[in-house]
Amino acid sequence: MNYGPLVFLAAFFALASSWCGFVLTPQLQIGRLQQTNTVGGAGIAYPIARPGLAHQGLDVYRANGCAYCHSQQVGQTGTVLDIALTDAGTNQATTVAALLKLAESATNQPSALTMLPSFQPGSSNAITESILGGLPKAFFRSTTREAANAAAKALNSTSAKVQLWVVPVGPDITRGWGGRRTVAEDYLFDTPVMPGSQRVGPDLANVGTRLPDANWHLLHLYAPRLEVKASTMPPYRFLFEKRKIGRRPSPGALSLSGNLAPGPGYEIVPRPEAKALTAYLISLHADAPLFDAPISVLAPAGAPASTNAPAVPGAASTNAPPTNAPAK
Amino acid sequence: MSETSSPSQPSSTGTPEVARFPIVPADIDASCRIPLVVLFLSASVWLVIGSAFALVASLKFHAPGFLADSAWLTYGRVRPAGFNCVLYGFCIPAGLGVALWLLARLGRTRLALPGLATVGALCWNFGVAAGVWGILAGGSTGFENLEMPPYSARLVFLGYLMIVVWAALTFHQRRERQLFVSQWYLLAALFWFPWIYSTANLLLLTVRVRGMAQAVIAWWYADNLLVVWLGLVGLAAVFYFVPKLTGRELHSRYLALMTFWMLVLFGSWGGIPESAPVPAWMPVSSAVARGLGVIGILAVALNVHATLAGQCSRLMAHPSLRFIGFGVVAFIIGGLMSAAGALSEVTRVTQFTWFTVARDLLNYYGFFAMVMFGAVYCIVPRVMGIEFPSAKLVRAHFWVAAAGILLLVVPLAAGGIVQGLRLQHASLPFNDITQGTLPFLRVSTIGDLLIALGHLMFLGNLAGLVSRFYRIRAVSAWAAATVEIKPAETRP
Amino acid sequence: MNPEPQQSLPITAEAEPQAGRTAVPVWLIVLLFLMLYWGMVYFDSHGGWFNEQVYAPYRNFQEVEAWQPVTGAPGLAQLGKLVYNKPTCVACHQADGKGTAGQFPSLVQSEWVQEPEPGRIIRAVLYGISGPFQFKGQSFNGAMVPWKDALTDEEIAAVLTYVRTNPEWGNKAPEVKPERVKQVREKTKGRNQPFSQEELLKVSPAD
Repeated sequence: MNYGPLVFLAAFFALASSWCGFVLTPQLQIGRLQQTNTVGGAGIAYPIARPGLAHQGLDVYRANGCAYCHSQQVGQTGTVLDIALTDAGTNQATTVAALLKLAESATNQPSALTMLPSFQPGSSNAITESILGGLPKAFFRSTTREAANAAAKALNSTSAKVQLWVVPVGPDITRGWGGRRTVAEDYLFDTPVMPGSQRVGPDLANVGTRLPDANWHLLHLYAPRLEVKASTMPPYRFLFEKRKIGRRPSPGALSLSGNLAPGPGYEIVPRPEAKALTAYLISLHADAPLFDAPISVLAPAGAPASTNAPAVPGAASTNAPPTNAPAK
Repeated sequence: MSETSSPSQPSSTGTPEVARFPIVPADIDASCRIPLVVLFLSASVWLVIGSAFALVASLKFHAPGFLADSAWLTYGRVRPAGFNCVLYGFCIPAGLGVALWLLARLGRTRLALPGLATVGALCWNFGVAAGVWGILAGGSTGFENLEMPPYSARLVFLGYLMIVVWAALTFHQRRERQLFVSQWYLLAALFWFPWIYSTANLLLLTVRVRGMAQAVIAWWYADNLLVVWLGLVGLAAVFYFVPKLTGRELHSRYLALMTFWMLVLFGSWGGIPESAPVPAWMPVSSAVARGLGVIGILAVALNVHATLAGQCSRLMAHPSLRFIGFGVVAFIIGGLMSAAGALSEVTRVTQFTWFTVARDLLNYYGFFAMVMFGAVYCIVPRVMGIEFPSAKLVRAHFWVAAAGILLLVVPLAAGGIVQGLRLQHASLPFNDITQGTLPFLRVSTIGDLLIALGHLMFLGNLAGLVSRFYRIRAVSAWAAATVEIKPAETRP
Repeated sequence: MNPEPQQSLPITAEAEPQAGRTAVPVWLIVLLFLMLYWGMVYFDSHGGWFNEQVYAPYRNFQEVEAWQPVTGAPGLAQLGKLVYNKPTCVACHQADGKGTAGQFPSLVQSEWVQEPEPGRIIRAVLYGISGPFQFKGQSFNGAMVPWKDALTDEEIAAVLTYVRTNPEWGNKAPEVKPERVKQVREKTKGRNQPFSQEELLKVSPAD
């Protein structure tokens, strides 16, 4: 019997099935995505295409293979609800009493409700100030909506204003690499998309949020060990130019000292590629609240509701690294 | 023994009686000679270049400033260049060479139009050279396992088409109508690559799809190439050489058929990683497919074990068979590592770590390259008619390669698991975790060194054989020419 | 047969390998079916049934919906859902938004509803619609009740936001603010007639 055509047909249908599954269907589902709106109130279009220099930086990222050491995907293992107060209300004593009652039930039933580390009850009278200082603040965390609603109801009976914050959790998020998991919309306008597959270096999906300083990035590219002790990242000195100082030092020259300094009369100036790459890194954010990846966005007290300032609630209570230029 | 003469035997004069005479295997081998020499020799050169790049990349972990001032040799360019050299420069051409020979032999027919297959091989090599040059120059596409720029992709595709058309023609002309197991695998593989390669190049580089769909297609392509294509060709060689060199019958064609179906149906769905920023059904489908791969692995293990009648020591008897036996074991272990990725608890730990790299290396160095070495050590003496210059070097190559692969893969896998477990604890500073993988990387660099050494041995042996063959030919041709002249001169 | 590597290989006397016909062991087939069953169960519980809005760790669309953030003050969309079901719109357009064929048009992924600017749709709600109408390729010839007296600007903005941003219906248009409704109401002050299709088309949505 001539099996040749049968083999061919078998192979054809097998490959056709995976082609339909992983080429055709993704194109239909995510290849035709358009900008979407954020959820949770503001309704702002997301994502925005990267500005010109950042788009060129994407090209530098691709050409130098940064994706072989850095991933750009944040993972999430679960979601919880934080019970938070935005306003202490007119009668602070009753608010504190309600909080303490909830703290008691949290200690009795830790599976339903847990206290957050930022809430230190102690005795009720002396420390009303410390409990209710620094609002809006989250006090309890629950893993189900029923428990959260019950707790919110208990607090609602006082005059305080309660909010339920949706907070994604996972090791990546606790490490400060992002507020929520990354989804397809975050990469909508990137060509090519380089989600990376190795974490020899830290994840970069939100590096623009935690390291927004261009100088930090330029110094790090020139000499990684300046910013990160014993780093295994190679120095990218070819992205910089060593040249003689002209009539006055260039404004963009790196400030180096010790044996990294270029010597008297010389300066290190970033090339356009370095500047573009830095602009790209600073443009990396993946924290907007979307339907696919819900997260509560905290509007600062008193600010108008339509600001585009997505700070992650509860960030102060985690071990996130400092977001500004590091102390030297 | 003197070299086999070129196919000038009476059976090729084209008389009608020819069809009734079976073609002698020597004929078949001789018809394959030139394309196989080009394919295997160029493949081994690429292998040496690729492992040199991989060694440079590996050394950069221990001295980050090593060669860092050159943009062409930065880690992000040298590493993909090395992988592409090994994958497109060695794995696929060697696989094609073995496929051509197997199809000719199993069909008991001469290779059709070997000249054009040779042109295809040369075209392929030009393409790979242009591609690797492009990666080092900063023109990488950004997609893993598809880094070669579009201009080289076209050359590579053209070369492949030339080779595959003539393979299909050879298959069509076959005199042995009963198909052996290996032929199904090879037919499927020959057909597989053009589809996945053209889809990936069209949708990712020509008519670019938008957003995350690019990554999904890139993952689909990489999985189909590394798991399905290499698996099909490698297993074809295993199912041919293990019975042939042990003189026994392959245990069960039905088990081989089952493996074929498992690989072809489920292997092609396994590409999407668990962490991917895509809707949940994609990584879940991949996880299910990877889990089901365990059936195919069990079937191969059963088949090979039963073929040897339980005496696996037979594998060590023949030098070529050692390589193939090592390859089978690597296939089984690598497949189990992959199947473990069906459980999300496991992938949560192993994703983004050196474990995934170790699994890939085990697949194409441990399984495919070793099986190809075994096959080439078997095929080339038959095709050329002379033995390798040094049999000791063949044996030494095996031990060096085996040691190298063990020293490369085991520390990376272990280091990856440690790295992954520590990444789960957010309180551990990230830099400490990376520093903690360095001791494992130091051992794996030694593995890289040994592997590169083994490849040099392979190239040396092969080049020695080819040069000896052509030297002998040249000498005898010269002797034949001078013999003719003398009687004319001395005639009074 | 273990040919010595130093000897010449017998080139002419080689036989090609044969494959035996032993059957596949039964336990392997059983294992295959067990794994297929596991695969189906796993996909069912974790796969989100091919829904493109379900990402791990959420297991299905309902779970994603359940975890959507609800701000302290009910948002426009939540208020709009209440207004829709008061009953005001639900009586004709139904709770699933699909209406009734031939009588009341569907709001699900309708091109009228999802226009980037809400000028036309605000007018439709304020003053109603009468006369023949083309909605998503189907024609209707009914009448829509004017709501300008029954609903406030805020309620109209809320219900339009709910309809335009309802993820279950797949509508993805921007929301409508109460000021916008007020603006349209000012512009069309004094009108008492429902809109017909031609009139509505003459109005620019940005108006």
